[in-house]
Amino acid sequence: MKILLIIVGFISLSGSICFANNAITVVANTQDRGMLLSRHEVRNLFMGTRLGYNFIAITLPPENQTRVIFNTKVIGLTESRIQSYWAQMRFTGRKKIPREVASEQLMLEYLQNNKGAVGYLPASLTLPDDLTVIYTIL
Amino acid sequence: MPWRLWNFVLVFGLALLCNAHPIYAETSDKLQFSGFARVVLGYLDDKNAEYLNYDNSLSIDNESLIGLQADYQMMDSLAVTGQLIGHSGEQRDSGIEWLYLTYTPTNALKLKLGRQRTPFLNYSDVIDVGYAYPWATLPQQTYPRHFFSNFDGLMASYEIPSTLFLMNIEGYWGYFKDKVVVSEREMEAKTTGFHGLISHISFKNWNLRGSYHQGTTSVTLDDVTQFSGLLSQLGFSQSADSLATTGVTEVFQFSANYETVDYFVRGELNRIKADFIFVPDTDGYFLSTGYNYFPFSSYISYSKNTTDYEQPASDIPIGLSPVLDGLAYSYLNIFEQLPVNSSEAYTLGTRWDLQPGLALKGEVSLIKGADNESAFFNIKDTAFDREALLYLIALEWVF
Repeated sequence: MKILLIIVGFISLSGSICFANNAITVVANTQDRGMLLSRHEVRNLFMGTRLGYNFIAITLPPENQTRVIFNTKVIGLTESRIQSYWAQMRFTGRKKIPREVASEQLMLEYLQNNKGAVGYLPASLTLPDDLTVIYTIL
Repeated sequence: MPWRLWNFVLVFGLALLCNAHPIYAETSDKLQFSGFARVVLGYLDDKNAEYLNYDNSLSIDNESLIGLQADYQMMDSLAVTGQLIGHSGEQRDSGIEWLYLTYTPTNALKLKLGRQRTPFLNYSDVIDVGYAYPWATLPQQTYPRHFFSNFDGLMASYEIPSTLFLMNIEGYWGYFKDKVVVSEREMEAKTTGFHGLISHISFKNWNLRGSYHQGTTSVTLDDVTQFSGLLSQLGFSQSADSLATTGVTEVFQFSANYETVDYFVRGELNRIKADFIFVPDTDGYFLSTGYNYFPFSSYISYSKNTTDYEQPASDIPIGLSPVLDGLAYSYLNIFEQLPVNSSEAYTLGTRWDLQPGLALKGEVSLIKGADNESAFFNIKDTAFDREALLYLIALEWVF
């Protein structure tokens, strides 16, 4: 019985470690430090809607693991479907594809240097004080 | 070399130039180039007919195309966009597809003035960008090729975000003048008072779109107009009116998409109503579902349409005199020659996303029609059973 409990405990622990590793925060350069968005609002923001907050979405490249997790958990679409969506938006003149930065480190730098910029990062990353977490998903 | 091929080569050359020098686009945020291309290889497994110009030989020049788009941001709220397309197929003209100014006074409101694509159906303004949809080709049953692809006018778009859903409303007004092919005849068409309203709602995994479009269309058909005038002079006003070449055209559309990371279900239905000869009333729909297993996505689809022409009038008496009989038969013959394009298609296919911006698709469709109808086939042999398999392979690229 003890062995079983240890195994179950180990599985639960490793599960939560995986979970924590996959947690994503959406971070904004905003004066409103108490701002929180819903998943629906974050999804809309990264699909090209400006929401009325004057936020500008910034993304990571398609092959980036953080982007893959963000697409799966927040956008709810595959990378190829997101690429198709942006092809449709671009060639019908409806919306502009978000600016891309090459890595999480560059994302952090871009967010710090640009007011209104919003990007997603691994929750494990230590954030500077001047950025605000507006959404977290485990 | 035909003119259309020169256009195709010109656009292709420009696209290569832009792709070879991406720095050009990156040096200035104000000017951006982008483009799309598709190479579609097709084969119809029947020697007695053609379908969308595919026959029982491999062909690559029906739906292949390349497009180049330039966007120039003149001011924060003002931009100009131009799009040049080179088509390999004879049915579509190459050249400027888009040229419009965009004015964005607020985050929610956008106004576009100039030459734009007609947003009749869910994918009709992006029909040339194959990368944007899962299938190798949009079903002819729902996306009839005689719809004109662009119009000149003003379009307003307003977005309403909320914490629960996202709504977008578009309205447009403009006109169209160009050659179109309807009922296997090429004719000059002019649409005035062309306007429409489109509503798009996103809610969780659902995307819904409903739209209504209307315009007064006149087509130039000298032989029909002269014959109609003759009937009118002879007092057969009902027959004369039934050969009208001007009338109101209406399009109703509704589509629903549900998609997750794992699968999608998409459906669309439309109704086209026209008040004049050569354009039948049409009801069409398609339903498609697919399973995503990255980098692949496999799907099955079913599409169907029914077409219905106005019935001929019966005010010309038959059997009274040989002259009137000849007149009546000539009149009825016009209706008998109209192709009835009711048909259905079952499609099975797979999309393979090779890398971001590049996808390969393969699909096979079984197309079926009634024995006494054209069903979008160009029939070479009257013994043709109105049933054929169409194989397509498409390479889709956006850059």
